[in-house]
Amino acid sequence: MTEMATLPSLAPLTVELLLAVGAMVLLMFGVFTGERSAPTITGIAVALLAVAVLMLAVMDNNGLTFDGAFIMDPFARFMKILTLIGSGVAIAMSVGYARAEKFERFEYPILIVLATLGMLMMISANDMISLYLGLELQSLALYVVAAIHRDSVRSTEAGLKYFVLGALASGILLYGISLVYGFTGQTGYDAIVAALAEGRSTGLVIGLVFVLAGLAFKISAVPFHMWTPDVYEGAPTPVTAFFAAAPKLAAMALIIRVVIGAFEPVTADWQQVIAFVAIASMVLGAFAAIGQTNIKRLMAYSSIGHMGFALVGLAAGSKVGIQGVMVYLVIYLAMTLGAFACILAMRRHDQMVEDIDALAGLSRTQPLVAFCLAAILFSLAGIPPLAGFFAKYYVFLAAIEKGLYVLAVIGVIASVVGAFYYLRIVKIMYFDEPDGEFDPMPMELSAVLGISGVFVIGFLVFAAPIIAAAGAAAASLF
Amino acid sequence: MDALLQSYLAIIVFLAIALVIGLGLLVAPFIVAYKAPDVEKLSAYECGFNAFDDARMKFDVRFYLVAILFIIFDLEVAFLFPWAVAAKSLGWFGFWSMMIFLAVLTIGFVYEWKKGALEWD
Amino acid sequence: MYSAIVFLPLLGAIIAGAISLFTARPQNGVNGHDGNDDHHGDEHAEVAGSVRAAEWITSGFLIVTAILSWIAFFDVGYGTSEAFTVPVATWIHSGSFVADWALRIDTLTVVMLVVVTTVSAIVHVYSVGYMSHDPHRPRFFAYLSLFTFAMLMLVTANNLLQMFFGWEGVGLCSYLLIGFWFHRPSANAAAIKAFIVNRVGDFGFALGIFGVFFLFGSIGLDTIFANAEAIAGSEEATLHIFGRDYSAEAALTVVCLLLFLGAMGKSAQVPLHTWLPDAMEGPTPVSALIHAATMVTAGVFMVARLSPIFELSHTALLVVTIIGAMTAFLTATIGLVQNDIKRVIAYSTCSQLGYMFVALGLGAYSIAIFHLFTHAFFKALLFLGSGSVIHAVSDEQDMRKMGGLRRHIPITYALMVIGTISLIGFPLTAGFYSKDGIIEAAFVGHNAAAGFAFVLLVVAAVFTSFYSWRLIFMTFHGKPRATADVMEHVHESPQVMLVPLYVLAAGALFAGFVFFGVFMGEGYDAFWKDALFIGAENEILEEIHHVPAWVKAAPVVALALGFLVALWFYILSPATPKALAARHDGLYRFLLNKWYFDELYDVIFVNPAKALGRFLWKKGDGWLIDGFGPDGVSARVIDITNRVVKLQTGYVYHYAFAMLIGVAALVSWMMFAG
Repeated sequence: MTEMATLPSLAPLTVELLLAVGAMVLLMFGVFTGERSAPTITGIAVALLAVAVLMLAVMDNNGLTFDGAFIMDPFARFMKILTLIGSGVAIAMSVGYARAEKFERFEYPILIVLATLGMLMMISANDMISLYLGLELQSLALYVVAAIHRDSVRSTEAGLKYFVLGALASGILLYGISLVYGFTGQTGYDAIVAALAEGRSTGLVIGLVFVLAGLAFKISAVPFHMWTPDVYEGAPTPVTAFFAAAPKLAAMALIIRVVIGAFEPVTADWQQVIAFVAIASMVLGAFAAIGQTNIKRLMAYSSIGHMGFALVGLAAGSKVGIQGVMVYLVIYLAMTLGAFACILAMRRHDQMVEDIDALAGLSRTQPLVAFCLAAILFSLAGIPPLAGFFAKYYVFLAAIEKGLYVLAVIGVIASVVGAFYYLRIVKIMYFDEPDGEFDPMPMELSAVLGISGVFVIGFLVFAAPIIAAAGAAAASLF
Repeated sequence: MDALLQSYLAIIVFLAIALVIGLGLLVAPFIVAYKAPDVEKLSAYECGFNAFDDARMKFDVRFYLVAILFIIFDLEVAFLFPWAVAAKSLGWFGFWSMMIFLAVLTIGFVYEWKKGALEWD
Repeated sequence: MYSAIVFLPLLGAIIAGAISLFTARPQNGVNGHDGNDDHHGDEHAEVAGSVRAAEWITSGFLIVTAILSWIAFFDVGYGTSEAFTVPVATWIHSGSFVADWALRIDTLTVVMLVVVTTVSAIVHVYSVGYMSHDPHRPRFFAYLSLFTFAMLMLVTANNLLQMFFGWEGVGLCSYLLIGFWFHRPSANAAAIKAFIVNRVGDFGFALGIFGVFFLFGSIGLDTIFANAEAIAGSEEATLHIFGRDYSAEAALTVVCLLLFLGAMGKSAQVPLHTWLPDAMEGPTPVSALIHAATMVTAGVFMVARLSPIFELSHTALLVVTIIGAMTAFLTATIGLVQNDIKRVIAYSTCSQLGYMFVALGLGAYSIAIFHLFTHAFFKALLFLGSGSVIHAVSDEQDMRKMGGLRRHIPITYALMVIGTISLIGFPLTAGFYSKDGIIEAAFVGHNAAAGFAFVLLVVAAVFTSFYSWRLIFMTFHGKPRATADVMEHVHESPQVMLVPLYVLAAGALFAGFVFFGVFMGEGYDAFWKDALFIGAENEILEEIHHVPAWVKAAPVVALALGFLVALWFYILSPATPKALAARHDGLYRFLLNKWYFDELYDVIFVNPAKALGRFLWKKGDGWLIDGFGPDGVSARVIDITNRVVKLQTGYVYHYAFAMLIGVAALVSWMMFAG
């Protein structure tokens, strides 16, 4: 009791505090100035996230605080920077959409900042309670964001589905946490590890399964993925872009820290769960995407599949595997943002079009866009020497090193099947007759697409520092 | 084990008293109250629906808005009671925690007020 | 010099090929153009110029090559220098297997060089006139020169692999040239037929080469020749096939027969002769060069070149004799009734090749080569002459639609008569010396089949005379049977086509007289040196000088007989052949349909092969491999996709149910399996 009375160190929380205060200030600013201030708030929100990235990059505030419930380490720093970039770019990409669709709600960027704050909490969570708090902060913001187009049936349906299923997942997670607590008497990761040293019990394993199931929902891993296609399709496109990017990274980081940090002694158990989920995600992502005609739905299955691939690295459970997952996430982020930049630019006569066939003949109407998108799609398919190949290469390498041959083989087969639907889009862009032009691409989207394209094509050039940073970050977990 | 159970004795007593009072208040009207039913009196409250009716009907979402807002601040108060009791031993950490909590809630309150969520029209 | 002889044609082929590639496109562009603008004319002139360049470059190179070859001929054949090799490049060194590019120069080689380059040069020049209306001349000349290069590679080969390279090279060029007019289905069919039938022979040749390597441990000709007798004399079983051991002699026989199978294919010997008449679909100069003078004689050359091992296997030689005699007779009978002017000559070629193989089989290699040498002249002359005829009558090849051309194209007529008398062996012409030599050799040969061969060859000589004169009479004598329109346009060929014919006519008349002595007479040893091998007991060349007078007279009687019958049938009593054909309808049809060889092959090989191919295509590839391979996999993927997509119902409770099922499944698994 007496030590509780002393104020905890706030240094590791600097960035989170900045975002929290910033979000609230923006909310007040917005509510007092009204809807017309939305562009300003959007700009400030992006700036806020950019400042946060800079602070993370230069500050040295590693440490534990709140009695070990919150941790700041190189792994957290790496993942937070990625997440912040994902969120910031997602907000920036919504500008043109907001202007064109008369969708000017100042709450939108604020909600994203709040969701991002939740993600940062998740990444730094070192206790089941802080894990849950961060997760719910993020999720609640996301439920609202999904339904932010209040007048659109599809958008509200998406938000409702996401909310109902998200609540179910949260329940499963909480149940798992309570089981773990019941069988170890602890909520802190380090304490759980210490408790597990005495041996595992069946109840704990069941709790572990529930925890992983609840978390798998957040990265939309099969069989907890069902919400993904519907929400991706129904939510406004910038929201979909956001969903596909930042939350996935944060949730993946959360899973990594839970299984490595809290359940390290029962690695053999969670490995099976992760491997199963990885296989199911890769296979379903590959097969189901083939049948899609809506590009947002296709991207939903694509992201399911990619999460499956990333989990392969985690299933390895080694430092190399975690490093592979992190590299995978970096590349996944770049590819996803680039792909969504193109999808957001699919406007014809001031209307969004989401049919894959609408891309027909893009190589003739917008050759540069088509080229960048083709590069990104090839990369998503995992064709060397593009970035996506190396992403898969590192996770499969880790799996092979750990003797998970079946996992690696299924992964390769799934990526072969998956290549089909990516290449089909390329074929449509390059070989089909154009049936109309898209409206000119807004500047911010061109910028995102260009950077993403350069990154994907020239990954070999940038690879060394990224891989080194990921390696250092992964090392801090062990 | 006995000691552990004994420490819950007060709660059992509390529950028993609560049960008695609650049941008493529920049952008493049936026994003592004057009964003069008419159509208006038997109709559902205006904020709700018929208790047994089709679930797929339109309703005014504002009822729920008010209800949710009420619950938020109701819980806020529910938090304040135990905090106040233990405030002394929680020290400055406890004090600032609650202050931040209240500040955040206040910001939310300002937002809903300015948004007009508290106005019926 | 020898390198120049071999590689100048290759250079010419490359240049002409390049021109062909670069002119092909502009030409198409011009055709699509509207003809009115000035640019068009310039471009056309430019194209015409480069086409002419292709013609003159290849022809010029070939003339130079021919001159060099004649120099080499006199140098090696009449000089005293030993045989030698000219190294060119290393090629394959793999373990004990060594094959290098080198040119083997001896008398046999230079004889072939002379034949090949001379005829090739003549054909090149002739083609400048003959092909003048064809838009694809550069390609034609490129093929011709490439063929010449491959043929020279073949005859200068110093090891069997190099020979095989040339062997396949000429096969390829033959294929390309037969199918030169690729828009004609019949030309394509003929080209494919030639290629496939040759594959049968080439397979034998390849197996023969393997066998040689197995027996000798080398495919270098020097090594083979040096060790041939030692191998033949060894007592041990050297070959082990299908569980049976073969003695050294049997092994040599097997190898020789396999090699001879290759020769049969290339030289169109029964039963692999069917491609040659069909090959007449190619342009006539090609027929003259490839299918009369050079490529088809490659088999004869090969057996002569490998005489050191053939001489050791009596069985193989017997087979060679029998096949040769049968071919000579059989194809001559077919030639009797053909109506296509080129086909008659083509069957004549088969028949003459049969003569050569008889000579080879009897051990009279030099006579075979001598006949090859003279045959090249008169047969090329006949082909080019018939080309001149065809040219004159507006590309008509059916002799029934000719007749009476003697007055219109007298020079061609004269040249054709010269070719004919040389072919039938009229005394003192080139054919007389070589052909009589073969017939006499057949009479005195010790081979078991010699008598059989003698009879067949003499009968074949009668037939040869008959069909040759029949050709002359039907084409040049009698009343014109062509339409008046065609007859009006009949014209003598230009000088560029006639001059090459003069050269060949001179060869056809005098080559025998001039070279008889060195090829098979008293100059034999000095001329051939060690190029041909003759066994110790083989004295056939000596014996043919001592045959009875009636044997010497037999060929002359035969040709007179043939001439008289032809004269009776086609000049004096034109109705007789028709009546004869009607009376012996069965026989006539049998001959007209070429002994039904094609039909037989259709039934035995072609149709089963097609059926097998269809089965493998429809069932094997389409059903099995595509079905279970790419198509099947993709269809299954689509099936799975459709099912997976159906899982996404859109109902929240289904989704929640899926999640709970997932949790339940994982928990059960962990509890019972993990």
